[in-house]
Amino acid sequence: MIGAIVRKEIREIARDGRFRVAAITVLVLLVAALAVGWRAAASAHAERDAAANLARSHWVNQPAKNPHSAAHYGVYAFKPKTPLSFVDDGVDPYTGVLAYLEAHVQNDFTHRPAADGTALSRFGALTAAGVLQVLVPLLIVVLAAGTIAGEREQGTLRQLLSVGVRSRDLAIGKMLGLGGALMLLLIPATIIGVAALLVGTDGSGSGSRFLLLAAVYLGYFIVWIALSFAVSAWAPSTRAALICLLGLWMVNSLLAPRAATDLVRRLHPTPTALEFQRVMAAEQQADSTGRTYAQYQEAFQREVLSRYRVDSVADLPVNFAGLSLDASERWSDAVFDRNYGRLWATYVRQDQARSLFGFAFPFVAVRALSQGLAGTDFYHHREFATAAEQYRRHLVRVMNDDLAEHGKTAGFQYMGDHALWSSVEPFEYQTPEVGFVMAHHGRDLAALGGWLVLGLGLALVGARRVRV
Amino acid sequence: MSSVFGRMLRHEWRMLTADRTVWLVSIIFGLLILYAVGNGVSWVRSQEVVLDSVEADGSRRLAQLTRALDSIPADAPPPAAFGRDPRSPGSVGNFDGAQFATLRPQALAPLAVGQTDLLPQYLRVTMRSKLTLAAAQELENPSNLLEGRFDLAFVVVYLFPLFILALGFNLLAAEREGGTLGMVAAQPVSLAAHLGAKVVVRGGFMLGLAMVATLVGLLLNGALPGMPPGKLALWFLVLAAYGAFWFAVAVVVNAVPRSSAANATILAGVWLLLVVVVPAVAGTLVNTLHPMPSRVELIGAMRTASNDASARGAQLLAKVYGDHLDLAPSGAMTSADFMSRTYAVQEEVDRQLAPLADRFDAQLDRQHVLAARYQLASPALVASFAFADLAGTGPTRYRHWREKVASYHEAWQQFFIPRAFRHEWLDASAYPAIPRFSYGDESRSEVLRRVGIALVVLLLPTVLLAGYSVRRLKRYQVAV
Repeated sequence: MIGAIVRKEIREIARDGRFRVAAITVLVLLVAALAVGWRAAASAHAERDAAANLARSHWVNQPAKNPHSAAHYGVYAFKPKTPLSFVDDGVDPYTGVLAYLEAHVQNDFTHRPAADGTALSRFGALTAAGVLQVLVPLLIVVLAAGTIAGEREQGTLRQLLSVGVRSRDLAIGKMLGLGGALMLLLIPATIIGVAALLVGTDGSGSGSRFLLLAAVYLGYFIVWIALSFAVSAWAPSTRAALICLLGLWMVNSLLAPRAATDLVRRLHPTPTALEFQRVMAAEQQADSTGRTYAQYQEAFQREVLSRYRVDSVADLPVNFAGLSLDASERWSDAVFDRNYGRLWATYVRQDQARSLFGFAFPFVAVRALSQGLAGTDFYHHREFATAAEQYRRHLVRVMNDDLAEHGKTAGFQYMGDHALWSSVEPFEYQTPEVGFVMAHHGRDLAALGGWLVLGLGLALVGARRVRV
Repeated sequence: MSSVFGRMLRHEWRMLTADRTVWLVSIIFGLLILYAVGNGVSWVRSQEVVLDSVEADGSRRLAQLTRALDSIPADAPPPAAFGRDPRSPGSVGNFDGAQFATLRPQALAPLAVGQTDLLPQYLRVTMRSKLTLAAAQELENPSNLLEGRFDLAFVVVYLFPLFILALGFNLLAAEREGGTLGMVAAQPVSLAAHLGAKVVVRGGFMLGLAMVATLVGLLLNGALPGMPPGKLALWFLVLAAYGAFWFAVAVVVNAVPRSSAANATILAGVWLLLVVVVPAVAGTLVNTLHPMPSRVELIGAMRTASNDASARGAQLLAKVYGDHLDLAPSGAMTSADFMSRTYAVQEEVDRQLAPLADRFDAQLDRQHVLAARYQLASPALVASFAFADLAGTGPTRYRHWREKVASYHEAWQQFFIPRAFRHEWLDASAYPAIPRFSYGDESRSEVLRRVGIALVVLLLPTVLLAGYSVRRLKRYQVAV
């Protein structure tokens, strides 16, 4: 019975002129978005690869100079594009693409692509994720609004029920039919997506992410199909069902995300760059216990002298400048850890508060999950920024250690050479495993799961109460 | 005729106000506007606090330096090369005296946040290369930037049309389905006049509601007194023109006999196309067909140029002094020449990178010209650009300001760098001459011109659609 209903539904929808026009439009947009996204990601990837290689060659080909000068010269870190960013480029346009890694300072990632873009970009770019999150649910709503209400209006519901079709079968058949019709659109798009991933830049390790991404979107569509069915079963007319569903769609994908943004900023205000720098500068002068930097260095010197059991810096077997520079790094690293820690914790609190909205508006949950799986959410950015900062500290430490070890006699006239520069291995970064995404998006996953249960539950309740 | 039309208007008004869904829709719309205006006002206030503190910081630094300068005895030794000293041009121009150039929000800024959350509204100007200005940015959670703000411009551009379409999707269809349209058609009034009366009443109602809610929102947040009436009136004109366009769309869809459900679907599709799809496609087209040269490459090139110039540092400095005998310091070379060499290297790097940086700026200009052209693809974009223009949060004003900052930065360098080369220490007479930034806004007539064009662009399709509807209505089949 269910099979017959599914076949009938798919055939009917596929013959519907509105569906054909809408489906072809959505498919064209989806494919165009994938193509544009793939091209942009591939060229950004190639460009950043080249830039990273150039930065590395700048580093290793430095002329002989004092290791501390080399630490000041530093390197640049370039944020890689993740393989799945062509599906969802997430917050990538709004995070800086490069950071200058140098002695003494943790620099923020600068040059946000959107800041160089035009005002058009704030209307949202054409991305596959955008099509899947916004347009496909709309297509579902328009197709499904009349699924029961329409049968009732045309009087065919009476016939259907009179021949003994069980309402549960009707519900399952109708929903599977809608899903099946949608697959006519989504399967080709998925195949193109997989092909793009395989052809694209090193997509290895993205398989499980891609599968989960597909599962998340599938879940999202099921939520919409179930909700649409439930509303259609309840509504007195197709018109009422359509208006109710369009309202839901609008609030979900348009109003809620923006309203959430202003709300989370009020709950957890973002500091201004000025304030951030001011606090950091103050903490560089003195720590929370009131100990000044000068006192810290004096204590450090006393500690070094007693460790080497000598009375003056001149008697030390090592270059004290190198040790002192290293100590200064540790002092400032603590300041950076505290301040960037606080800043990022604010962002995380904002994102977590936003995720609560996901329980009321599935769009918010799906968006966060999609960005997470594509590796383009804030958590991935923070992970990369942290890795870059660890590399900076490592590089500076190698330089300072070398200065401490070898600079005893020559002092700041001591020169490091090519061997020293190449002893610092190049910066390598691995995008975290898929478990990282799950660990940070538990709330969004729970919200989507909740919506699946709620949607299917409503659909089944609606099916049971189908009346002529 | 006018009295007949007047009676039709009164009748439509009674029908409208008797409809409970109209009141529901109005209350929701009004509340959204109030919330949006409140958001905008609080955003602008927080920005003003930041800009005030930035400007105060600049003045405070200069005052401190002047005091410090006064306390230095006349026979004190010259400043050390690397030390902080109120007499050293490098120390003042790069660190202690560095000033901020600010972009103050205009009166209508609370109505459209525009790009002010993304683009820095203040820049720290130092003697360093102008390329450093490009790295400036304000802190913000990228997820917040991605979502955008809930401001009045958002409510008007995205939601206003939906409310209009909700009131307008069944202008004739409902009467036709209810069977009353035939009775109307039997009266000595044309269908066009009948539809016109409906649109005038509904349009007047929505526009009045939007205006009153905006004014109330401003009043509640204490922001109404500072509003320039002329600009506010222009804002409402753009609002009216944008609303008129959407009513025209509703009318043209109603001019063909269809069921109200079909009308609703078509109108939702048109809205989706013009407000969501076309803007996204336009933005993507600009970026794909005319991509920006890469910042990433620019950084690499900067590094290469700077390595090259640093290697020839001493030579470059000698060349500076050789070419400009007036810049050569009197007396023996000192450790301060290390700093001079840095400036010489920086000048060389800037000189080498100039073609690349110019290409970058030219491409940015081209993109903005294109964006201004592509906005014509959708009334939503036209209205949005016009709102940002009126609020002073649009791309044109911002770019104008960045140009002024660039020339201020040049003046700053021109003041400090030659003095650094000459080892000419700053004294009490030099301080008042330190360039200060003041932004003369772009001329009002420029803004008026752009908003005027936007109004014409919005009204043109409106008139065409209305004209077509009148013709089409003559062939309207009243009978179901």
